[in-house]
Amino acid sequence: MSPYPFHYHRAHTLAEAVTLLAQLGGEGQLLAGGQSLIPLMKLRLARPGALVDLNFVPGLSAIDEHSGEIRMGAMARHAALEDSELVARVPILHDCAAGIADSQVRNMGTIGGSVAEADPSGDWVAVLLTLGAQVRCTGPQGERIMPVSDFVTDAYTTMLGPAEIVQEIRVKLPPAKSGGAFIAFKRCASVYASASAAVQLTLGDGDICRDIHIALGCVGLTAVVPIAAQDALRGKPVSAKSIENAADAAMAAAEPQSDMRGSADYKRVLVRAVVKRAIDIAARRARGERVEAGHEYVARV
Amino acid sequence: MNNQAPKPEKGTWVGQPLRRREEGRLVRGQGLFVEDYKLQGMLYLQFVRSPYAHARIDRVDVSKALTAPGVLAVLTGAEVAARVQPFIEIGPGAQGKVIDYPMATDKVRYQGEPVAAVVAESRNAAEDAAELVEVEYHALVPVLDAELALKNESLVHDQNGSNVVWHGNFEYGEVDKAFQEAANIVSIGRMHFHRFSSTPLENNGIIATWDPKKESIHFLSTNSFPAFAAQFLSPALGVGIDQIQMESRDIGGGFGIKITTYPQMAVCALASKQLGGRPVKWIETRTEHMLASAHGNERTFLDTRVALDKNGVITAIESRHIDDCGAYPRYEPLGCIIWAQVLPGAYRFRNYRVDFTQVVSNKCPVGPNRGYSRMQHLWFLERVIDICGHELGIPTDEMRLRNYIRTEEFPYTTPNGCIYDSGNYARMLEIAKGLVGWDGWKEKQKQARQEGRMLGLGIGSTLDSGTNNFGQARIINAFAPYSGQSKAANVKLDIYGEVVVSLGSVPQGQGHETTAAQVVAEVLRVPPDMIVVRPGFDTEHNVYTGHTGTYASQFAVTGLSAIHGAAEKLRAEIARLAAFVLKAKESELEFGVGKMGPEVRVKGTDRSINYWGLANLVNVNNAELPMDMADITLNCRYVYKAPFAVPDVEKKYGNLTLTYAAQLHIAVMEVDRETYQPKILAYAAVDDCGTKINPLIVEGQVHGATAHGIGAALMENCVYDPEGNMLTATFSDYTPITVMNMPDLACGGLETPSPFSYNGAKGMGEGGAAPLHTICAALQDALYSRKIIIHDSHNSGDSIFHALQGDSAKPAPAVHVERRA
Ligand SMILES: Cc1cc2nc3c(=O)[nH]c(=O)nc-3n(C[C@H](O)[C@H](O)[C@H](O)COP(=O)(O)OP(=O)(O)OC[C@H]3O[C@@H](n4cnc5c(N)ncnc54)[C@H](O)[C@@H]3O)c2cc1C
Repeated sequence: MSPYPFHYHRAHTLAEAVTLLAQLGGEGQLLAGGQSLIPLMKLRLARPGALVDLNFVPGLSAIDEHSGEIRMGAMARHAALEDSELVARVPILHDCAAGIADSQVRNMGTIGGSVAEADPSGDWVAVLLTLGAQVRCTGPQGERIMPVSDFVTDAYTTMLGPAEIVQEIRVKLPPAKSGGAFIAFKRCASVYASASAAVQLTLGDGDICRDIHIALGCVGLTAVVPIAAQDALRGKPVSAKSIENAADAAMAAAEPQSDMRGSADYKRVLVRAVVKRAIDIAARRARGERVEAGHEYVARV
Repeated sequence: MNNQAPKPEKGTWVGQPLRRREEGRLVRGQGLFVEDYKLQGMLYLQFVRSPYAHARIDRVDVSKALTAPGVLAVLTGAEVAARVQPFIEIGPGAQGKVIDYPMATDKVRYQGEPVAAVVAESRNAAEDAAELVEVEYHALVPVLDAELALKNESLVHDQNGSNVVWHGNFEYGEVDKAFQEAANIVSIGRMHFHRFSSTPLENNGIIATWDPKKESIHFLSTNSFPAFAAQFLSPALGVGIDQIQMESRDIGGGFGIKITTYPQMAVCALASKQLGGRPVKWIETRTEHMLASAHGNERTFLDTRVALDKNGVITAIESRHIDDCGAYPRYEPLGCIIWAQVLPGAYRFRNYRVDFTQVVSNKCPVGPNRGYSRMQHLWFLERVIDICGHELGIPTDEMRLRNYIRTEEFPYTTPNGCIYDSGNYARMLEIAKGLVGWDGWKEKQKQARQEGRMLGLGIGSTLDSGTNNFGQARIINAFAPYSGQSKAANVKLDIYGEVVVSLGSVPQGQGHETTAAQVVAEVLRVPPDMIVVRPGFDTEHNVYTGHTGTYASQFAVTGLSAIHGAAEKLRAEIARLAAFVLKAKESELEFGVGKMGPEVRVKGTDRSINYWGLANLVNVNNAELPMDMADITLNCRYVYKAPFAVPDVEKKYGNLTLTYAAQLHIAVMEVDRETYQPKILAYAAVDDCGTKINPLIVEGQVHGATAHGIGAALMENCVYDPEGNMLTATFSDYTPITVMNMPDLACGGLETPSPFSYNGAKGMGEGGAAPLHTICAALQDALYSRKIIIHDSHNSGDSIFHALQGDSAKPAPAVHVERRA
């Protein structure tokens, strides 16, 4: 349970981090909250020659409102996001931040690290997809910004070039009559979900669903966007029937694998359930209701 | 003195909910655990472990590891085997043929079994070098299922010629007659109790130091039954038992699973010997703990038949049980008899026949855990009573009331000669029903069923038999050289008048320091804060007997009896001395605390002498003491002997345990119609452990045990794939219960004092099985109308979903009711 030997570099500015990474070539790897990287190193499944620590770069963990956007610094911890009043204005973000693992992990883990890690079971990517979030990156060639849907390309794979760093995540504040919810089914606190669903929808007159974004976590190589499920609701009244139809379509779109978190068949069943609940709560929130949502656990109601 | 100590009620400290005195130290990080010790010249040991469940070892090459930086030695299984004797086996016959060395020699028998050990200057160096050890394996067919093990197509221990290590018939009463006369006979097919472990916060740890001058070996370890471990280590290492020094400090939980670490201890000892006596430390990682420390026994129940009269009263049960003890029996086959401590559970039936077989398999060896061997059996009985109730249309509460042993029948002798001390199961059920709101939930259940919801109420009746009679080992092996049960304690008045209790027990969170102080405080009439308690096993500096350890729910009886006995002896010496000094009769004396601290005074006068004065007279100022008082040492040892006899080995008959605490739990559960998740809507836990010494500690034990049981029932499971790879070797996969899973508990109690302990207490803490039966019963109630029989002790949303789909991997057992006359 100890890593292979490695060198440690502490960056004091983003530019220094980029330079260090460029100098180290393939050897270097960024260290953010370390909640994915350090366990992998201790299990000797990851063997970076050198770490470039982002924890001492000032300003990287800011959470601000700017031009109708929430801008979350890459080093913003899950716990800081959980506690942020600004973030709470977009309830689906709060649902996500508050339910990641346990408080030890939330106190260290970062949103930037989660997005860069692109773990198919991670919570953030699915949630950010439904909000059309943008990922701002900095590298030797300068800055670029791209939607999270383009950023994550495969399991544990992103558009990040060598020596490129996630600097910030930007989310547009949703319009009026828009609501979202994230529901993840987990066995216990300190593990990844078995299946999760993020839903952000906007209501029009007469409870018609004007727009909807759904993303499923843990049931594919990346978060799955079930197009047919979105179509089952978009432009239609939000009703028990339309929600059922969307949930069925989401279930069909899921491509889960059997593992200790559940058999593939069972995970599909879970997808159906979490999608239904997430749509229901998202719609109620869009109507202005205050409803709790987030992670569900075995045994406890 | 701590002025926050609560005032004793009616002048008594025993029975008060005092906060645990050890808590402050432990939560502030001031505990002393094995990992905290850094000794001069200390080396680190890292095991190289088998990736295979069952394989022949063709070659072990340690040459690269030996030349790695910081490495001092690499031990292979073959080298270790050349230097030690195999461990003694408790069982005779077939089990006696098992060859158990501390590391694998010719072949590996479970995934994670050690094949080599690297010793280096630092842990990192040891870990790096361990990767350089090359082992060539030839994979063999793994034995992973108890029923298949019986076919002996692949053998775990070749020289045994069979995978069966123990077999016994247990028969009591007139079973055949009861079946002939039965009004109803219920047959139940295969049921299965799953494998789980204990998840202590601290994994195992050992520091072994060989003393080349004394030819002795010192162990600082997490072992929770050191006296037992020493008996195994001594012949294996070829040293006298007096050359083995055992020490334990704080231990971060155990729940039984830390009893069987003597193989790892042996390897550390050999390494230290080889390296001239430098201390060798081994700290287990969580994955090593999950793979290769110990698991609980897995048990399969076959061909069960139950005879009942026309009122649903059970008259006889017969069945066939196969226990899977993993790769090496170690503490086994004691589990093959220990279940019989609670043979009829809470029930009155007198006729019982079971054919009991234990097999080895290519899984982690088992060790006692969480209600060892009794929980498997109690789960079986609870499934039987529950299934019979449903099949015969008798409400499950009524079914139990008709079958419970009545309170006026205590002390109650079971068909196999165990004597249940006291209890009132019917009253406990009533209390639990009140706490959970049974009648209200029954109403809600009716309505829920109309809506198609799956809501159920389940009862679990559990016995926590405490203070075991080691004589039961004779039923397994007539030549076993131990019997009975004992504990030793020492209470003394030290040279400056401090009261010091030494008790050599091995606490891991049970609050021994606190309850020990309460008992002595009671005898001497001083606040517990004034009493120094020295727990922790230490063969050099603390008192112990061959039974000393923390296991078998017994401290409140055996440990406290020893302490009480020693305190009474000290009190008598103090009284004699004080009577002399104060020129009074002993009957005129009174114990208490005065201006000068703890003292003895003459009632109704201001004549007194404090403890310092008394101790001074014996230790410093003894010319003033007459010669006829020279026998007073103020240093009193007492050995508690439990009132046991050796059981009748032929008839498998006799008293196997002294006290019988009981747990009555009720769960209200609903299976979510969309996720199939079993959710706990309400939960009541009623505990009867006789007279409570410290109700707060009891409640803590109840909460912890209940959490473990809920985790075992719904979350924890040691899963092996068809090749014998353990799929749940990390906490991410094994998912121990967290507070996010815990329902609110409605706790209640009943105190039926035990007539067999001086203080009326019954040992407790192993009621951890209670939720297993309770949750299964609630799920049964929720799902019976859907033709589901709950036949496995582990149930998850996934397994319930598949059962309802009718495509379960392990199909439900056939249940058949034969209604006669
Ligand atoms: C017990 C446990 C349970 C967990 N459960 C959950 C869960 O339920 N849901 C969930 O979503 N997550 C969970 N996690 C993961 C957690 O959220 C991590 O925090 C997250 O995945 C990674 O973030 P980090 O800041 O810790 O990144 P690190 O571990 O430091 O880094 C992860 C990877 O991203 C790279 N990286 C980090 N920051 C940047 C950056 N700014 N730019 C480019 N690359 C970067 C690193 O080089 C590394 O390769 C769990 C973790 C643990 C230990």
